[in-house]
Amino acid sequence: MTLFTEDNLQITFNNVTHARKFDDSEHGLSHCMKAVDFVIELPDRYLFIEFKDPENPDIPIQYRAAAIQNLNNSEFDEDLKHKFRDTFLYEWASGCADKPVEYFVLVALEDRPLLSRRLEALELNLPLGMPASAAWTRPIVHRCGVFNITDWNTTFPDYPVRRLS
Amino acid sequence: MTASGEPLTYLGSQQTAWGINMALTKAKFENFTAFKDLEVEFSPGINALIGENGTGKTHLMKACYAACDLVKTERSLAYKMVEVFLPSGRQGGRLVHRGGEETEASAEIHIDDWYARCTFHGPNERTVITPVDLPKPSLASVYIPVKEMLANAPGFLSLYAAREIHFEEVYRDMLHSAYLPPLREPIDDAHGRMLGSLEEVIGGKVTVSGEEFFLTNEQGDLEFTLLAEGWRKLGLLWLLIRNGTLRDGSVLFWDEPEANLNPKMFKTVMQVLLELQRAGVQVFFATHDYVMLKELDLQMTEYDGVAFHSLYRDKETDEITCHTTSRYLDIRPNPIGEAFDQLYDRQIERSMRGLV
Repeated sequence: MTLFTEDNLQITFNNVTHARKFDDSEHGLSHCMKAVDFVIELPDRYLFIEFKDPENPDIPIQYRAAAIQNLNNSEFDEDLKHKFRDTFLYEWASGCADKPVEYFVLVALEDRPLLSRRLEALELNLPLGMPASAAWTRPIVHRCGVFNITDWNTTFPDYPVRRLS
Repeated sequence: MTASGEPLTYLGSQQTAWGINMALTKAKFENFTAFKDLEVEFSPGINALIGENGTGKTHLMKACYAACDLVKTERSLAYKMVEVFLPSGRQGGRLVHRGGEETEASAEIHIDDWYARCTFHGPNERTVITPVDLPKPSLASVYIPVKEMLANAPGFLSLYAAREIHFEEVYRDMLHSAYLPPLREPIDDAHGRMLGSLEEVIGGKVTVSGEEFFLTNEQGDLEFTLLAEGWRKLGLLWLLIRNGTLRDGSVLFWDEPEANLNPKMFKTVMQVLLELQRAGVQVFFATHDYVMLKELDLQMTEYDGVAFHSLYRDKETDEITCHTTSRYLDIRPNPIGEAFDQLYDRQIERSMRGLV
């Protein structure tokens, strides 16, 4: 079992080969490459995991509405896309991109309809599947998803997330 | 108290820069149209009504509008109700809740300490009871129905006055308000901002020539029949602000503001509704639209008096009841959110097919 804290959220990883906080100081290239929060290795694949917490109670209440509104612009979607791409390249250069990769984003927001559009955008922005005309031997990303805390805990019972306050 | 027992904290009247306004505070219905037994408390600010079709959102607003109109006429509430609801043959008795043994309906609308109550029983009988020891409050109001009318306005008022045409009186009243000329006094900053926001969206100002409405800008005059239907609605809102109908102490009822409007415009619409409320207008609107509700949730501040009223059919009694809350996320039930939830569930299911 590995436990990480990301601001006001805590995640526990059970039954994984290896779990690491990816965007910490050991990353070393944060000046030019974006990074997801966690990279998890399973026996048959990697999980890239990113947390967004617009309802973080530590954010002053007057800024929270703006944080939620920011979910509805393309910069948010672009940020998620670049975090995936740069993390993939980083892992490839480390010789670690040897298994299928899945990308899951947790947006700690109760209001699910807002998340629906973000999932659509993520699916659109990532190269899911393979191009018919290219000689790819495997996809870059096998699957992606956007969840709130409740949906996350239902989908991933081995990686429960909880709010600290 | 609300259906859930949650206490409301509204004060009943809204404090503005000009003093304390009167406001609709409560409505009670017994065996009246869709309602077997319903009581709803209102915010003096914005009241958002949601609910599936047939849960009485429009009926609730029409009944309240009838009471507001009553205070500026000498007619009885029962008479106004009949003209606003237009039951077949103008028989007030047809407003009695169907499907039960009851033969009498009553509606009671409270405006601060004053209230009007009317009852209907039998085929035609109309009764009105109002407390006589308090003067009638002064409460200007306008009701914007779902159907747009400005494009078809020329000749309508004279036709309505001369002939029995089957239109609820809200259409006539709304046109009377729309035809009012602009105020002579200068527009204050808040109202100027609202007019500016609307002009930006519709691309001009609204003018009236004869009985015809036009959108006027540097390119000339465009008759309303050639204007997008959604813009006509915003044009009506512009007129009502410009001619002082929606002033401090008035009440706006708007049935489905989202009708015929692209959701991108909802931000401006909600911005104007909130500005109106801050300027002392009590607002009621009924909606089926998630974006409209979410705009309210995102734009409202802790100083705005907002109430979300969810009308729904109680599973045990099968009668319409209401849950009122001041927080979007506490709306129960929320049929609009539920519809999106179901879509999102299916979307997640598709994304995660074969997983884990």
